[in-house]
Amino acid sequence: MQPGSDLLATIALWVTVVAGITTLLLFAGTMLLRYATNRHERRRRSVIGTWRSTFAAALLSAAAARDCELPRIARWVRPYLLEEWNRVRSLVDGESAANLAALAERLGLEDYARQRLHRHQLHARLLAIQTLGYLGCSAEWDYLHDELLGHANTALSATAALALIQIDPGRGIAEVMPEVIQRADWPRAAVHRILRAAGPALITQPLCHAVVTGDAGTAVRMLRFAELAQTERIDQLVEIVLREREEPVVLAAALRASRNQAGVPRLAQLAGHADWYVRVQAAKLLGRVGGDRDLAVLEQLLADGEWWVRYRAAQSIVQLPFMGPNSLRRLKERQRDRYAADMMQQAMAEVGLA
Amino acid sequence: MGRAILEDTQWLFLIYFIGINVGYLSLNLIATFSLRRHVHTADQYESEMAYSNLELPISVVAPAFNESLSIISSVKALLQLEYPEYELIIVNDGSTDDTLEKMVHEFRLRLFPEAYRDLIETQPVRGVYRSSRYPNLRVIDKENGGCKADAVNAGVNACRYPLVCVVDADSILQADSLRRVVRPFLEDPRTIATGGTVRIANGCTVRRGFLEKIGLPKNFLARVQVIEYLRAFLFGRMGWSPINALLIVSGAFGVFRKDALIEVGGFDPNAIGEDMELIVRMHRYMIAQRRDYRIAFVPDPVCWTDAPESLRDLKSQRVRWQHGLGQALFLNRSLMFHPRGGTVSWLAVPFYLLFELLGPILEALGYVVIIVAGIMGWIAPDTALLFLALALTLGILLSSSAVMLEELSFHMYPRTRDVLLLYAVAILENFGYRQLTVWWRLQGLVRWLSGRKHKWETLTRSQSLTE
Repeated sequence: MQPGSDLLATIALWVTVVAGITTLLLFAGTMLLRYATNRHERRRRSVIGTWRSTFAAALLSAAAARDCELPRIARWVRPYLLEEWNRVRSLVDGESAANLAALAERLGLEDYARQRLHRHQLHARLLAIQTLGYLGCSAEWDYLHDELLGHANTALSATAALALIQIDPGRGIAEVMPEVIQRADWPRAAVHRILRAAGPALITQPLCHAVVTGDAGTAVRMLRFAELAQTERIDQLVEIVLREREEPVVLAAALRASRNQAGVPRLAQLAGHADWYVRVQAAKLLGRVGGDRDLAVLEQLLADGEWWVRYRAAQSIVQLPFMGPNSLRRLKERQRDRYAADMMQQAMAEVGLA
Repeated sequence: MGRAILEDTQWLFLIYFIGINVGYLSLNLIATFSLRRHVHTADQYESEMAYSNLELPISVVAPAFNESLSIISSVKALLQLEYPEYELIIVNDGSTDDTLEKMVHEFRLRLFPEAYRDLIETQPVRGVYRSSRYPNLRVIDKENGGCKADAVNAGVNACRYPLVCVVDADSILQADSLRRVVRPFLEDPRTIATGGTVRIANGCTVRRGFLEKIGLPKNFLARVQVIEYLRAFLFGRMGWSPINALLIVSGAFGVFRKDALIEVGGFDPNAIGEDMELIVRMHRYMIAQRRDYRIAFVPDPVCWTDAPESLRDLKSQRVRWQHGLGQALFLNRSLMFHPRGGTVSWLAVPFYLLFELLGPILEALGYVVIIVAGIMGWIAPDTALLFLALALTLGILLSSSAVMLEELSFHMYPRTRDVLLLYAVAILENFGYRQLTVWWRLQGLVRWLSGRKHKWETLTRSQSLTE
């Protein structure tokens, strides 16, 4: 053997040994994990079984939540109890939620959640934040605000935002709303929950402001949540956006958010917009709020070059309340454009009028 | 002379060996962290999504060719998916059996005057049917295009919703698979495609189109494929996804943003591995267009598929995969070392080229050289054995880490006996099976290089998928 080969053989030997030992460790780790998982499952089931009746009683009666006899709480029970309490709490509201909060107080869940808030594990921290939000724990306000709201981790920051709103909506909205507007990484569902928890009265003004003054991306993102704001202000907002903004994506989003044609004087004009996704939204809105004067616009859209515009226009025509089966058939027959006639036929067939 | 050649090439083998194992172990590390994060935030996501109804509507497209035996149960299962708004489009790809007739009868299909759009060119569509029993079910009847890609493209043309989920009609989906796999689209609007983990259904009990009980297959070849799929999905794809360098979304279950799918021209009917080719092309297109995009992977087990249980079927599959890999990389070769290509161009494509496509050559050569050198006395027999032991131990280590990742995340196999069995298979696959697949992959490589056309062969189904 040459020196190079010797070196190679030595490396090979050591790598083989290390790989072998690592494999054995992995095997041992897997078995331990399996044991831990099984034990976790057993314990979880046992805690749910033991506490089911207590939770059920607390949900139904404030007195039970305050006075019912509690099973003994061993140290290992607490994480499972916290998890189960959060699960049940996520299903209820109103009086039952208040009862559960009273029960949590007796169980010391707030203190326990505050301890877990500073843990390393993400799951433990998320559950702790959620608990503190449900319980309206203002003692951790500063930590939630200073350390977590602007955290780079999407789940941590979005959950903290919701908790701040749940703890004090009035104070929270001023802190949370700028993040809602800025953080494009927050999932839509999370933002939806935050805004819904804050309520229309608190979110309408900042939401409208963001739509009017923000860039196109922000405006589109915020318009998606317009349904959560005060209805009358949304009509005004749509009108302002359609009047003052030019970006097609914003126009389309505003049309999608609109519920009322009164706020959309430019609708007929937008039906002829150069971008097809604006025309699609115009066609859809005309179907929801259009009157007999709008039929001509929809008929024009029926012969549009874009399939989706034709399709939505046809669907809108079919759903206009004053268009009976005979009117629809006549409209279809008078189409000179083959694509328009085909689309009318499809839309009519969809509602059983073929 | 032989000894001299051996000395010259040994460092090449060593570098290759270090490269491939460091590569896989790095993927393993990334996957471990990503998986833990995914699992820990899953509860949060579940609770957020539970009442939001914000999921994007999805068109599910399932191509079917001569699926007469299983089509009714497959469609019924697809109609029971848990998702707020989706439509199901079955594409009858010119079946020569009574697939269409069975569907017409069972689902009360009626010819429907659909204004069908040819956004992606396909073989002619003969008719569009709509079910009078299930308003969200349509069947596209088209002339046979000779491949799945053509059928899927016809289905995509008929889609109404912004997301398209492409599934194999004979795959078994988890009831909540759509909800799970749509998560990246909700979390990141730049997402254009996602795939979920595909698992082996052999050995599982299926009832009414859904999995009732999960178990390991009895057949050894299918068992080894369980390990292979764990490796491929849990640390292969999960490792590439966080760095946005995923090169494949399984054809058995993938979700695409429809506008992006149409923009790149849909699935390529001439591609052997149309699923991989599409994803590589999507990367190439988006990078060329300077778009900010993401192709993500969801590790949740969402789809269960029938694995070949005979050597003939398995060989055919592996030859096809290797052929498809070569073709996909070659067709999109401009992606390699593209200045703006980032991790895809500078890491994933070179890795796939070097270790997945050309890997079998070096691996086979490695085995031959060690054995010949040992026999010829160019290296001591114990050294030859040491090198073989090294190759096998590292193989076992990678498979073991995949089993560990499974235990760390989803632990789908409930019995401890199953885990022990998986470890046993992780060891045994290195003695014969792995070498056999290297040989088949070499054949696939030769088939691609020689430009021979791939012949479609009918695979024999395992019994475990019949209800």
